[in-house]
Amino acid sequence: MTNRTVETADTPIPSGNRSLSTLLHRLARQREYAVLALLIVTLSVVGAVNPAFLSGGNLRDMLVQDAPIVIAACGLTFVVLLGEIDISIGSLMGLLATALGQLCSPSHAALPVWIAVTLTLLLGTGIGLLNGLMVTLGRMPSIIVTLGMLTVLSGINLLLMNGKWITDLPPGLRWFGVGTMLGIPICLWAALFVVLGAVLLARETPLGRRIYAAGSNPDAARLAGLSVWKLKLFAFTLTGFLTAVATVISVPRLSVIESGVGQGFELLVVTCVVVGGTSISGGRGSIIGSALAALLLGLVRPMLIFLRLGVSASYWERAIQGAFILLAVLADHLARRTRRDARR
Amino acid sequence: MTAPNRKPVNETDIKIPPNRSSRVPLPTRNEIVLLLLLIGTLLLAGRLSPDFLSSRSQLELSTHVWELALLAIPMTLIVLTAGIDLSVGSTMALCAVVFGISIHAGLPPIAAALLSLLVGAGAGALNGIFVAKLKVHPLIVTLATLAAYRGIAEGISLGRPFSGFSDSFTFLGQGSILGLPVPGIVFLIVLAVAAIMIGGTPLGLSLSAIGFNEKAARYSGLAVTRIKLLLYTSSGLAAGMAALLFVARRNTAKADIGTGMELDVITAVVLGGTSIFGGRGRLFGTVLGVLLIHEVREFVSWQWNRDELNLIVVGALLILSVLADSLLSPKKR
Repeated sequence: MTNRTVETADTPIPSGNRSLSTLLHRLARQREYAVLALLIVTLSVVGAVNPAFLSGGNLRDMLVQDAPIVIAACGLTFVVLLGEIDISIGSLMGLLATALGQLCSPSHAALPVWIAVTLTLLLGTGIGLLNGLMVTLGRMPSIIVTLGMLTVLSGINLLLMNGKWITDLPPGLRWFGVGTMLGIPICLWAALFVVLGAVLLARETPLGRRIYAAGSNPDAARLAGLSVWKLKLFAFTLTGFLTAVATVISVPRLSVIESGVGQGFELLVVTCVVVGGTSISGGRGSIIGSALAALLLGLVRPMLIFLRLGVSASYWERAIQGAFILLAVLADHLARRTRRDARR
Repeated sequence: MTAPNRKPVNETDIKIPPNRSSRVPLPTRNEIVLLLLLIGTLLLAGRLSPDFLSSRSQLELSTHVWELALLAIPMTLIVLTAGIDLSVGSTMALCAVVFGISIHAGLPPIAAALLSLLVGAGAGALNGIFVAKLKVHPLIVTLATLAAYRGIAEGISLGRPFSGFSDSFTFLGQGSILGLPVPGIVFLIVLAVAAIMIGGTPLGLSLSAIGFNEKAARYSGLAVTRIKLLLYTSSGLAAGMAALLFVARRNTAKADIGTGMELDVITAVVLGGTSIFGGRGRLFGTVLGVLLIHEVREFVSWQWNRDELNLIVVGALLILSVLADSLLSPKKR
C-alpha cells in the first residue's frame, strides 16, 4: 500500500508508457466521459439490434421521460457537492403534484393555471428552504431531516388526496406536460434551460466556486470567510424549487393525478447524481455527469423493450439499474488501484 | 502542567466512547425522553380508548412490529460503525421470493427456509464486501443493491405472488408458544444474542471505536474489515428471517414486500438515540424507539383509522427528537 494521496484536479497523471492505466484513470476521474461512452455504446448496440430504437420519435419519448429526473438531479448535485443529501424529493414531488392538481382542477380550488403553477413553485421552494433551515440552523444531519420530511410529506399528501384521484385537470395545465414549443416538448425546453443554468452556476459564477470549495473542505472554506450554511441553505432551496419545476412539467403529462406520484423518485435522482460521478462526501462532481447518468439509466427500460427479449425482460429493469451503479463503483475502485500502481 | 498528581494521559484525556455505559444500565437523556413519550402515549391511549391497552389487543397489534424490530438490531450495530444499510427491505423481498419459488419447485419448507436465509446472508455479505473490502460508501452500495435485490426479486418471480404454504410453516408467523407469539420469541433470541455480543465481548466497544474514528480503530489493531463484513452479513441474514416471518404471517410471498422498510428501520434506530454519524448508540435505545413508533402508529390507526396521520406523526417525531437533541447538546463546530 502506498500513501493515500489527496485527490485534486491538479494531481499529475502519470503519462507515457502506461497509456492504458492513464486512460482508465481519466475515464474514472472524469466520470462524464465514462458515462457518455457507456451511453453511446448502449445506444449503438440496441440501435443495431433494432433500428427503431434510434428513431426520432423514440429518442424524443426517452428524453421526455428523463426530463424531470435531469431537472431534479441538477438541484441535488449541488446538495451532494456540499456533502449533504436530500431524500425527500420523491415525497415532495407527490405532495406538489397533489397541490398543483387541487389548486387548478375545477372540482377543487379552480384557480387559474398560472396562479396554481406559481403557488406550486413557491411551495416547493418553501419546503426546500425548510429542509435547509433544519440542516443549517437546526444543526441536524441532512439524511435524518429529509428522511423525516419524506415521511411527513407523503403523509400530508395522502391526507390531501383522501383516497381519491384528481381527474379533471384543465387543458391549460395539460399543456405543460404535452404541449410543444417550436416542435419541441415543453419539458425538454425546461430541462435544457435548467441544465444550462446549473452548469453556468457551477462553473462560471463565484457562487458555484464557493460551493465546490465548501464541499471539498468545509473548515478551510469557513476560515476563508465563506458562510457555508448560506450555501447549504441555497442548495436545499434550489432543490425544492427544481423539484417543483420537475413536477409541473411531468405530472400533467397524464390526465389523472394519483397519490403514488413521485414514489421512488428520490432514489432514482440520488442514483443519477452518484453514477454521474459526484462524490457522496462532497467537493467533487458535475452537473453534466448527473444529467448524462439520468439519460443512461433512462435507457434501461426502453432498451429491454426494444431488444425484444419478451415480456418477462422488463421485470429485470431495477436489477439492471442496480448493476449499473455497482459497475460504476467498481470502475472507480479499479481506476483508483491502477493509479496507485502507476505511482509505485 | 507538571503537577505531580496528574493522572497518566491515556486514562483521562482519551474520550472513552459512551458505549462503555452499556454495562451500567443507566438510561441516557434521549432514552429518558423516549420512555416519557412512550408512557405519555400509553396514558393518552388508555384515557381515550381503554380497550387499546388490554393485553389481548396489544398481543394482536404486536404482529405488525416483529419484522421492524428484528431488522433494527443489526441496523443499530451498522449505524454505530457510521454505516447504513438501505437494502434491507429489498433483501426481504428477495428472500421471500426465493422461499416462494423453492416451495413451488417442491422443496420441503425447512430446505426452502434455509436456502432463503442463505440468500439473505449472501446478499448482506455482498454489501459487506463492497463496503469493507472495496471501501465504497455504504450509502452508495446499499442504494445500488436496494434497486438490484428488488430487481432480482421481480425478475425471478416475474411479479407473481406465491401462496398456499403449509400450516407447519405459517405457525412461524401466526402461532404462539406459552402465550408468546413465535415471531416475538425469534426477536427476543436475536436481541439476546446481539446484546450478549455487544455487552459481554469487546465487540461493542470496537463498533463505537470504528464509528468514532475508523482509521484510528484500524491502526489500533481492530479487525475493521472483518467486523464490517460480519455486520452487513448479519443484516442480510436478519432480513432473511424477517422475510420468513412476514411470509408466514401473510401466507403470501411477492416481490413488493418490505417496500420502504429500510426507512422505518432507520427511523426507529435514529429515534432510539443512535447517532447517524456513528460511535454513539445502544440497543436499549433502539428497542425503545421501535416500541414508541409501534405504539404511536397502532394507536393512531386504532383511534382515527387513518394511516396517513401515522406517517406525519412518526416523521415529526423523528425530526423533533433529533432537533431537540441537537439544540440541547453543546455547539460543536
